[in-house]
Amino acid sequence: MKILEKMSSIDRRVIFLLVALAVIIPLVANIGLPSRPGKYTIEMYGFIDRLPAKSQPLLIDATYSPSMMPELQPMLKAILRHCFARKVRVMLMTLDPNGPALCEAALREVAPEYNAVYGEDYVFLGFKPGSSAVIMAIGENVRQAFPADNYGKPLSEFPMMADVRNYADIPLVVSIAGSAITQGWVIYAGTRYHASVGAGCTAVSTADYYPFLQSGQLVGLLNGMKGASEYEWLNQRNGYSTARREAGKGMDAVSIVHLLLMLFIVLGNIGYLAGRRAAQKQ
Amino acid sequence: MIFSTNPWVWVAAILTLCIFSFLYRENPFYRFAEHLFVGVSAGYGVAVYFNNAIMPNLYVPVFVHHDYLFIIPGLIGMMFFFRFSSKLGFLILIPLAMLLGMSSGMGIAPTIQADIIRQMQSTIGDATSAGQGGWALVWGIVTFIGVIATLSYFFFSREQKGALKVSANIGIWFIMIGFGASFGNTVMARISLLIGRVQFLLTDWIHIIK
Repeated sequence: MKILEKMSSIDRRVIFLLVALAVIIPLVANIGLPSRPGKYTIEMYGFIDRLPAKSQPLLIDATYSPSMMPELQPMLKAILRHCFARKVRVMLMTLDPNGPALCEAALREVAPEYNAVYGEDYVFLGFKPGSSAVIMAIGENVRQAFPADNYGKPLSEFPMMADVRNYADIPLVVSIAGSAITQGWVIYAGTRYHASVGAGCTAVSTADYYPFLQSGQLVGLLNGMKGASEYEWLNQRNGYSTARREAGKGMDAVSIVHLLLMLFIVLGNIGYLAGRRAAQKQ
Repeated sequence: MIFSTNPWVWVAAILTLCIFSFLYRENPFYRFAEHLFVGVSAGYGVAVYFNNAIMPNLYVPVFVHHDYLFIIPGLIGMMFFFRFSSKLGFLILIPLAMLLGMSSGMGIAPTIQADIIRQMQSTIGDATSAGQGGWALVWGIVTFIGVIATLSYFFFSREQKGALKVSANIGIWFIMIGFGASFGNTVMARISLLIGRVQFLLTDWIHIIK
């Protein structure tokens, strides 16, 4: 009985140590637990997969800071790989002041893998403060929000931007964000300007966006590291990428830690009940 | 185990370990890393906002294109600094009122459309479209019941007894399931952040993972 009671008062540092081991061992041992894509990842992937090559560019908003990188950076890279492999043009932008460095890092890694040419296959619009005002300005004219790209070159000088004026010329907006800005894209770009919006978000905020999926206001949703891992899996299955599955590797550790936490919850409750019963007997 | 030769990787790795040291107990290494993070973030934010907001929206229009109308919004924006004055602090209400008015004007109509009307249409549509059949119809009905029951829990104009109490109790179950889903996702998100840092240490710093 004493062992059961002690379960509810394990030193938190022991738990931290076990969680650390549960993270490190799967990463080093390369377990490769099975992972299959969910419905909303498939819907997002399918939407981008149906876009014709060399057509109007899709717009990716990567609004997140380094603290959200483990979940969202693999997502951005997986979508870029999908687009570049299919020759779907991309406009990349960010509404987070920390975003430009992360966007450039992703482009630096992915673009050379597919020989994607800046200005022809993709353009980086950079950071613009103002969130909803920027989203609405793109609805009028993308040049109103971004007269030039991140490096100061006017958008009119890019051939791929020649026929792009506003959301009517953008087949899909993908909001990869760790904040409520995705809701801004749904409200302003989706509702007001009738743009198709897809989202990739941190797992913390996923539950907030499910209602928009159910109502058809989002074409698809990538849920944190799991969503990124599923997208990577789809890219590899369809031969679009041979890169290391960054999020996929992390998902092994997530699964093991979840099992460990479930065990702690069960043990903690058993310990609590045992302690309460012992107190009642006394 | 081959350690990185990149000094910046070492800086990032040491700062990561400083932050992790808090898991054992509060200590000077953790406090150093925390203060450094706050300072660097603030400095970086000021520089980025100056280059991306002040320069293109105020400096260039006024001093390069000589469009002096931009001085007006510039001055209104600067009125935010009146909050540091005890005598003229009330003047901050002017830019604040403009900001609130603009945000409300921009947001109210599309927010009602996106967050309320579309959601109501979808809730009713999913539960009543017999054509879809099967599990989709079942989940549509569950969603419909969940929305009604949850709303009834937040109906405070009548004492919760009888049918209203039953409905409110069902609502509590739906709310609890919602909290559970959110908590589960939160755990996954936090673990993902830990994995990101551990991956960095094992991959970029000590090169255990290829």
